[in-house]
Amino acid sequence: MTETTAVTSVREPIAVVGLDCRFPGARDAQEYWSLLMDGRDGTGRVPEQRWDADRYHAAVPSSPGSTSEKRVPGRTNTVRGGFIQDPDAFDPGFFGIAPREAQAMDPQQRLLLQSSWRALEDAAVAPQDLAGTDTGVFVGVMANEWAYLQLADYDRITARYGSGNGYFMGANRVSYHLDLKGPSLAVDTACSSSLVAVHLAMSALRSGESDYALAAGTNLIMTPVINIFYAQAGLSAPDGRCKPFSALADGIGRAEGVAVLVLRRLSDALADRQPVYAVLKETGTNQDGRSNGITAPNRWAQQRLIESVWQRAGVTADDIRFVEAHGTGTLLGDFIEAQALGELTGGRSGGSVALGSVKSNFGHAEGAAGIAGLIKAVLALHHRTVPPSRFAHEENPKLDLPGRRLTLLKSPLRLPSGTVHAAVSSFGMGGSNAHAVLASAPRAVHRGRPGAPGVFTVSARTPERLRANLLAQADALARRPENQLAQLCWTSNRVKSRLPHRAAVAAGDLPTLVAELRAAAERAEEAPRVDPGRRSVGSVAFAFTGQGAQHPRMTASWYRSCPAYARHLDDIDKELAPHTGRSVRDLVLDGDPELHRARFAQPALFAVGYAMAATLAETGIRPSYVIGHSIGEFAAACVAGALDVPDAARLVARRGALMEALPEDGGMLAVGLDAAEAEALLVGRQRLGLAAVNGPHATVIAGDLDELAEVERELTERKVAARRLTVSHAFHSPLMQPVVEEFRAECRDVPARRPLLPVFSTVYGRELTGEETMDADYWARQITAPVRFAQAAGALLAGGVTHVVEIGPRSVLTPLLARLTTDGGHPASLHTAHPGEHAPGHRPQQLLGELWCAGLAPQWDVLYDEADRVPRRLPPYVFDDSFRAWRAGTAPGLPELSAPHVPSGADTTAVPSGAARGAPCPPAPAEDLPDSLAELTRRLVCRVGGHDPGHVHDHSRLHEDLGFDSIRVMELKARIENALPRLGELPVEDLLASLRTVGDLVRYLRSLHLTDAPVPAAPEGTPR
Amino acid sequence: MTAPTVYLASVGTCLPGDPVDNTTLAKLVGVDESWADLFIGNTGRHFAVDLATGQVRHTLADIAATAADRALAEAALEPYDIDCVVMGTATPDQLMPATVNLVADRLGIDNVPTYQLQSGCAGAVQALDVARTLLLAGRCRTVLVIGGDVCAKHLETDFDPGSRTSAELVNYVLFGDGAGAAVLSAEPVGGDGIEIRQVLNRLVGLGREPGQVIDWFGLGDRHSDRTAVSEDYKAIEETVPALAQQMFWELLEDLGWAADDVDFLLPPQLSGRMSDRISAEMPAPDARRINVVRHVGNNGNALPFLQLAELLRQWEGPGRAVAVAVESSKWIKSGIALERS
Repeated sequence: MTETTAVTSVREPIAVVGLDCRFPGARDAQEYWSLLMDGRDGTGRVPEQRWDADRYHAAVPSSPGSTSEKRVPGRTNTVRGGFIQDPDAFDPGFFGIAPREAQAMDPQQRLLLQSSWRALEDAAVAPQDLAGTDTGVFVGVMANEWAYLQLADYDRITARYGSGNGYFMGANRVSYHLDLKGPSLAVDTACSSSLVAVHLAMSALRSGESDYALAAGTNLIMTPVINIFYAQAGLSAPDGRCKPFSALADGIGRAEGVAVLVLRRLSDALADRQPVYAVLKETGTNQDGRSNGITAPNRWAQQRLIESVWQRAGVTADDIRFVEAHGTGTLLGDFIEAQALGELTGGRSGGSVALGSVKSNFGHAEGAAGIAGLIKAVLALHHRTVPPSRFAHEENPKLDLPGRRLTLLKSPLRLPSGTVHAAVSSFGMGGSNAHAVLASAPRAVHRGRPGAPGVFTVSARTPERLRANLLAQADALARRPENQLAQLCWTSNRVKSRLPHRAAVAAGDLPTLVAELRAAAERAEEAPRVDPGRRSVGSVAFAFTGQGAQHPRMTASWYRSCPAYARHLDDIDKELAPHTGRSVRDLVLDGDPELHRARFAQPALFAVGYAMAATLAETGIRPSYVIGHSIGEFAAACVAGALDVPDAARLVARRGALMEALPEDGGMLAVGLDAAEAEALLVGRQRLGLAAVNGPHATVIAGDLDELAEVERELTERKVAARRLTVSHAFHSPLMQPVVEEFRAECRDVPARRPLLPVFSTVYGRELTGEETMDADYWARQITAPVRFAQAAGALLAGGVTHVVEIGPRSVLTPLLARLTTDGGHPASLHTAHPGEHAPGHRPQQLLGELWCAGLAPQWDVLYDEADRVPRRLPPYVFDDSFRAWRAGTAPGLPELSAPHVPSGADTTAVPSGAARGAPCPPAPAEDLPDSLAELTRRLVCRVGGHDPGHVHDHSRLHEDLGFDSIRVMELKARIENALPRLGELPVEDLLASLRTVGDLVRYLRSLHLTDAPVPAAPEGTPR
Repeated sequence: MTAPTVYLASVGTCLPGDPVDNTTLAKLVGVDESWADLFIGNTGRHFAVDLATGQVRHTLADIAATAADRALAEAALEPYDIDCVVMGTATPDQLMPATVNLVADRLGIDNVPTYQLQSGCAGAVQALDVARTLLLAGRCRTVLVIGGDVCAKHLETDFDPGSRTSAELVNYVLFGDGAGAAVLSAEPVGGDGIEIRQVLNRLVGLGREPGQVIDWFGLGDRHSDRTAVSEDYKAIEETVPALAQQMFWELLEDLGWAADDVDFLLPPQLSGRMSDRISAEMPAPDARRINVVRHVGNNGNALPFLQLAELLRQWEGPGRAVAVAVESSKWIKSGIALERS
């Protein structure tokens, strides 16, 4: 048979690249796998939170006989089922959803949102990176029980409840919050819904409609309605357990589940080196049509479907190693499925096909049943082991499984190496069938560089979550192979670096990384908050260190661990070599003590500073301002575009050589005096000069050694701190005068060009203004002029710079800047590129981590070799589960027996902390009137949004953080007007335009000529 | 159809911490440096315990898992590709659970057969033998073989150096810790496959006193005055060279190879000095010798893997290699023959 290219592309395999799930007895995919492998039972008694199990239960004597005799109207025959843990928990703040709104959402929507996020992270993708893309969302769902409970009382239906309806809005909710613009649909074909959703997702990917697709399934049991229906139809297992293909099979046990798969075209996933769990080769659906009754399964339809899917997948029964069956554990269902499948497998050569059904572990998850089976098969292919099926030891002999060459798996089956195929069936009660053929993922090995360092980044929405997420990562990393360190770090940068509370750990080996992540977890509460929305707003200054900072082998660790730095240093070394006569790079890296001679120290500092700045620029950390201390001004001028690199290279080499040629008869003295006091000391001493003003009481004088000694003596008598600096010459002193003219001549061709960035000149002690340029005169004057660092840096800090990075091989300017920021009350965050000899070997990685924690957004790729830019799976985000909201399932018209007392005015229970479950949210004390405008505003915001007042701050953004949409803003407006009648009606446009954060709102209200004094307030304590 | 064969897909090794040279050893345990150089010939070794503080930094499971990780990475395999694990060691972390199973757990390997062989350095060859047999029988496709030893238990760090006899001090100079691993497969993995042509193991201890004894103690006999570790160096020195030569010829006869056909020879590793001597006395004078014990110390079951790793570094193009290991406790001679065509 020949296939055209077009057909081949239609048959493109689809990769399962990420997944997340919650099933009874399993809170995540890892626990799901252990549940399956251990053959554990996930079922339990109906939790009290759902409904009063006894109330709808009619105990039936277990005597043999027709099931119809056992039916009691309005009752079910079981008090058990498969229930997931904590279905009421949600992290509304993470998604910017107000607690009130979260409370009005079907929990299926809430769980889908969290699972979608986690599944994407599991695929080593930052969900934010898919925003705005054509990613599709396909959600299999048949349970509409929330609506049944919530929307039955017409008088209580509010705007929120419409959008909270999980049944038809579940997929849209995910698309909305993740900003996904591809197809978004809820799929209901009864029990086959989620496998049909996968089928639709496959089509969207194959047709090119989407490049990523989320295929999901969800089922929450909020009422006993279907239990009663199953019991009345004679389909309900009294013990609430499905026992597929077993002689013990006596009906269905219901189960819950939420699961999301992330799918991609296999070729795309492989091109991105993304980890692949397994491959979907083919899926298909069909219908029983007019069969033996609408709810009866149909053998011929099942057989035809499986046959056609296998054919399209290009496999036969000989290729299929195991089948994850629908396997509900009803006698008729099992019989028909065994017949249909057996027709295809019966003639198989070789051994038999392994058969099992996950329903044996926790029951029938209805809308999520197909995806439960699919994930089991995907994980089996991934782990190359098929888990056993429960109740297999008492196989139903009437099914004649051996004759059909089917083996019900009693113990795990290890799969052979090489490509292995599997099949999954899911059938719907109304006759919509679905089937899938999977294959193991192709072998793809991406070895990292052994010993390559990296920086691991973790971010979270709150400090408390940062802690939990750091610990989750540490636990998982402890079990990873060491050669993946850099790949794991790179993945964390790519996936986990977008949230406001941050921690970064740089390391060169995994045990250290794990230990440091645990240590960071202990400090998580101290992590400063970063506003990720304002990433571009940071204005960075580079401060270039001057002479004296050099040391042998300076920044050798950068050269070794950061390829970009090595490249920039090599480049600048080539520029310098003709002027220095030998490689400054080699001199530095070899640890040659010659480095301290001015002829080498000056070009070396320039080279190192220039290469560091270029490296940082390559990572996207670009300065908006520059400042340089003495020789540091040359690299600063280059970065600012005021000086061409070849000119700068020539000048620094010449400058150093000229100075070195001067007699070594000068010295420098740091004194604890301010500039004016120091200048007083210089009166009458011609061969001394003011060399640097580093701070309020930090000045350097320089010049003739004898005169300097006199000054030193005088200061000692006056008990003023004075310290000799280890220098060969008295730089920035009158002793430098002899070289000034020669250097001016050397500079004469330097173009007088205005810098492209603001330069804070340490010659002038201020920003260069107007037409001022860094020309020959400037550089000539710079030799003898004092370095007015304190004034220049003061001007820089006053200008509102947010981050200052000291560029150089040692921390020299940072302590000076720290004093200036403290004294001046400037909030700039200060960083040292390289703190000195004792900096760790992975300092560049550490520095970028530091800058990221301080709110900047580096492009991490620069730090990693191509071989290390490979995505690896990391544990997905651990959400806050303290918010709880649930609606107990009781038939309308009956008094609630099991639900906690609900105060009037609150239509569900939703509290910010599990401990206080049952109280309305937020507490609304009527006596406690707000005593200030700010507090009143916050209280009103909490009232409208249902937030915990402890979590609403001035910086909380109304839309992004608190989930205020236009409806809620209108409600807030009304409440403010009501509480503050003096204001009259607030203009909506003003309100909308000026509102970003709660703080903005307070300022806006204050601007309406209100004082901050106690304001008269309407009795807001009474809920409406 | 060609005869079934087995391939050496990769080798990985792990030596814990930094190397400890004789100068350091002299400082820490009072060993005479020139005596160590002259009589034993080992110049370096690695210890899982920090000799200066006595702190145990690595277990056998730690270093074995690291070596296995490296072998897997080298063969470009994932843990789930491994369908059998065989480990040889004389010094398991505990008698139970067997260290091999702790290593499997670290690596994420489950639902496969595992074996641990209690043996001295011939244990590595025994483990390779078991692996090869399982592969030839078609029981498995890809087997992880591990060997390693950790002597931390036998190193006292808080004693008066002057009180030790030279027999006791020998142990500090002679031994070291390490682990090695190899992946064996039924099909060649990657480019040029190295075939494992033969593996032989033979107990030859009938009526012979053990040349080495490592005792173990429990609650009942922990205060007994039995020596924990003892060697009969005289017997070892006399017996090992002869057994090594026997094994060499036996392998060659088995395969129909001539001594001239052998390009690489991996002799038994006892101490730097003895291995050089045995090495020189072995047949096939033109075969390049691969000795490692001088630099890594006698780390028992890791040694053959360290030799194999070194062999792979040096081996280019087609050729033949023969490795021989002798265990001097109850006397086992063993050997492997490798060929690349």
